[in-house]
Amino acid sequence: MPIHTKIEEWPAERLGLRRFNFRLIARLTGILLIYMAISMVLPLAVSLFYRDGAQFAIVISGTTILILGLFLRNFVGRNATFDLKETESYWFTAFIWLAIPFCGTIPYLFSGTIGSFTDAVFESVSGFTTTGSSILSKPENLPESLLVYRSFTQWIGGMGFMLFVVAILRKLGVGGEQLYEAEFSGTRQRKLHPHLSKSVTRLFTIYSILTFTMMVLLLVSGTSVFESLCLSFSTVSTGGFVPHSMGLISLSNGSLSVVTVFMILSGISLAQLYYLFTFKWRQYSRDEELWSYLGIFVLVSLVSTIAFTTVGNDFRTSLRYSIFHIASSMSSCGFYIPQPQHWSFLVSVLTFLLILMGASAGSTGGGIKILRVITLYKYISNYFTRMIHPNAVTCVKVNQKVVEEDYINKIFAFVFLYIAFILIGAFILTLCGCTIPDSICMAAANISNLGPSPLINSLGGSLDYSTLPQIAKWALSTLMVAGRIELFAIIAIVSPAYWKR
Amino acid sequence: MLMVEGLLILACLIPAFHFADGTWPAITASGLFTFNIGLFLTVSFHGAHRITDKRLAYLLVVIMWVVLSLFGTLPYLSTGATTSFANALFESTSGITSTGATIFSAVEWLPASILLWRSMTQWIGGFGIVLLVLALVPSMGINKYSLYTAEASGADNTGKQTTSMGATVRHTLGVYILLTCFFILVLWKSGLHIWDAVNITFTNISSGGFSIYNNSLEHLTHTQQYITAAIMLLSGINFSMLYYFLTLDWKRLRNKFDQLICYLTTFLIGAVFAILALALKMGYSWADAVRCGIVQTISVLTTTGSLVADTSQWWVPITFLFVVLSLCGGMAGATTGGLKTMRVLILIRNVRKILRDRLHPRSVNPVRLNRKPVSEDIITNVMVIFMVYAAVTFVGIMLLMLSGINATESIGAAIACITSYGPGLGTSGGFGCYADFTTSGKIICTLLMLLGRLECLTLIILFVPKFWSRG
Repeated sequence: MPIHTKIEEWPAERLGLRRFNFRLIARLTGILLIYMAISMVLPLAVSLFYRDGAQFAIVISGTTILILGLFLRNFVGRNATFDLKETESYWFTAFIWLAIPFCGTIPYLFSGTIGSFTDAVFESVSGFTTTGSSILSKPENLPESLLVYRSFTQWIGGMGFMLFVVAILRKLGVGGEQLYEAEFSGTRQRKLHPHLSKSVTRLFTIYSILTFTMMVLLLVSGTSVFESLCLSFSTVSTGGFVPHSMGLISLSNGSLSVVTVFMILSGISLAQLYYLFTFKWRQYSRDEELWSYLGIFVLVSLVSTIAFTTVGNDFRTSLRYSIFHIASSMSSCGFYIPQPQHWSFLVSVLTFLLILMGASAGSTGGGIKILRVITLYKYISNYFTRMIHPNAVTCVKVNQKVVEEDYINKIFAFVFLYIAFILIGAFILTLCGCTIPDSICMAAANISNLGPSPLINSLGGSLDYSTLPQIAKWALSTLMVAGRIELFAIIAIVSPAYWKR
Repeated sequence: MLMVEGLLILACLIPAFHFADGTWPAITASGLFTFNIGLFLTVSFHGAHRITDKRLAYLLVVIMWVVLSLFGTLPYLSTGATTSFANALFESTSGITSTGATIFSAVEWLPASILLWRSMTQWIGGFGIVLLVLALVPSMGINKYSLYTAEASGADNTGKQTTSMGATVRHTLGVYILLTCFFILVLWKSGLHIWDAVNITFTNISSGGFSIYNNSLEHLTHTQQYITAAIMLLSGINFSMLYYFLTLDWKRLRNKFDQLICYLTTFLIGAVFAILALALKMGYSWADAVRCGIVQTISVLTTTGSLVADTSQWWVPITFLFVVLSLCGGMAGATTGGLKTMRVLILIRNVRKILRDRLHPRSVNPVRLNRKPVSEDIITNVMVIFMVYAAVTFVGIMLLMLSGINATESIGAAIACITSYGPGLGTSGGFGCYADFTTSGKIICTLLMLLGRLECLTLIILFVPKFWSRG
């Protein structure tokens, strides 16, 4: 194919951007948008079913997205070469995370449910990054279809656009691996199948099965169709959008336990879930991350139960709340139920820790990821040994594999960046008039894609993001995206090194 | 070391007699007591072999600091300045670690000898830190870790290192004493009473921040405030660098240029923001904003903790920025606390390196400092210290919150103590003090100060089970 001549025609070359395979990026984004437009069928169906009057807005926004997608795919992205370099995959990641949330605002704006553009972007970003922070103080006033759409964005976001791209475009060559790794935060995910596209398909299947099972279980436990649809979308993706302003208060105990179980499940790596369902015991009996995840969960729930009981709540309430709350924080879902009468500061602090730590690598949850925390912990304790015995030859093993220095260095840098981002974000929030603890908690909750957290509430802040000034909303949106794509991509495209030839 | 401390306590007799404040018997007693114990220990361990085991080195350093802090409480207790042991320990540790957090709400009421003692502990502490870094770092198991020491190159053979170590200590001590004398003179000439001049110089050159007035630097004239700012700024610069500067050794000076530039840049950014915020948001006049902004930013960046105004009343973002700045701290090899400019630089450059590695997988991208590649070991060490520092800070905040202090104050106090800045946020910030903290809160803060001063690792390693096991 005479590709090179084609690329040179493109004016981007004159802008000094020849290195980037713009066409492919445009084409892929276009395809994603088209799929997004098709997915609007679901809210449309809900709208027609409930007659909530939003059908025209949805049709119009669906069409707009479709036209945009077609334009990108067939006009800008025609004759694209299917070759994505490392540099471009960063660019692609960033571009897509700009394009999709922006397009995601269209339904909110057209239906008039969210008036301001900033708010719509915040809500949309919060959806696609599976954060779940909301500026809607009364979501139940929205048409049902838009609520379903809201949760559905989380579901799409949870699976990761990149995975969609990889799954759909089997032609994709070398670049696909990088996208796969970019989506899974460079934590060396095992592939489920030698074929990348097949492993993606398997992940996708697990994800869908999980969602479907949850929906059925919720229906069985007596939740309405509408709520179980929304809830299962936002639970499996660890998103946390709730179609009701009172949180999950209206759910029966049975439904609550279903939600809890699925929150815990969705904090586990999808690959591990696949092994679980295919009964490959050995694969996950040896996985340190899985056991640490469960261990930490049990331990912290116990501590928190004790903490709540000692400040004067009765045992049953404490236990129930603790389990729910810890599952929600650890998996970065961010659901909340009414708090026990007496709040314990110990729980606030533990929650903050859990939020930072986050879920397993390779799951839909956010945070620094347990795998990294384990590696760091092991490395640091090994470091102490080396301080005492400088000549000892030691190595750090995680999951029966020796961890290389290079990899450790990356994790360290990642955590450093993470903390730096939180501090910068918190600084901007203080500029907007929030108190220091509130700012830090909000920044941490959003960069970890947790969303609303009772933590903020317990410190005297509010769960409601609608009252924040515009700058704060933009800052938080940026943090959400940064947390979702794990910082490096964002840092990469703003660093001068990236633009050097 | 204890002997020195005993002598210094005795030195406090001079103001005690001079001002005739009636504390002299108590001071003499505690001075003599410390001196005797010091003497006893020195004599009994005279024949002890040189420290060869690293574990012993760690243990010794920690014990040294703990013992100094413990004996530092004697003057407070014996003169009845404070009756509770926790308070005395807090104050003494805060002095020795040059933190500057105080539990005295009204320092003007204290006898002059005690005030001098407070300042003096900081002065010893400040120097102790430099010594500590110099003495400890080579024994940290990484001989290559000579970034701190002046002679960055050729520290490989041990014989050479000992001689250069001795020289470095002498240079540093010289610079330290010279600067102290110089600034006492300057402050005195600027119209300050000699008593004030001595105290202010002692506490600021060591980046401590104890003050003999409740309103700290606000007590001084504007010129004197700027002079104090200069003291602080210098105290945040690596002492061997100052030595090279004084001896006009430009070649060696350039070896540390990176950190200096980074240090000054951080200062400038902080100061500009503070000035703008003060002038535009707080309604200060521009002259006042510039003065307060500059002086306070220096005080924060060098983790001194002297205050030109009641910072607890300042706009929240400024105080938050100050918290972050104090975490960065001044240059390594100076008296400041915090993470140190050098580490921050390495951390940032390491991120850049990783990006480059990913973008160009086959290229070699070393992390460079002062145009020299930094070895893996050092990067790892910096990273580990950073992580442990972050973890300790976090645990500190958590424990303070559990001891019943509210979130803002816990964050402020924990960071102020671990970075050895001093004033926290809320009631412990500004011209306030730590008097209202619960006893457990005070003990946690005391621990944090020690941890921060000993760069976390040295203290924590004592609690690693392997440390005590044989083999």
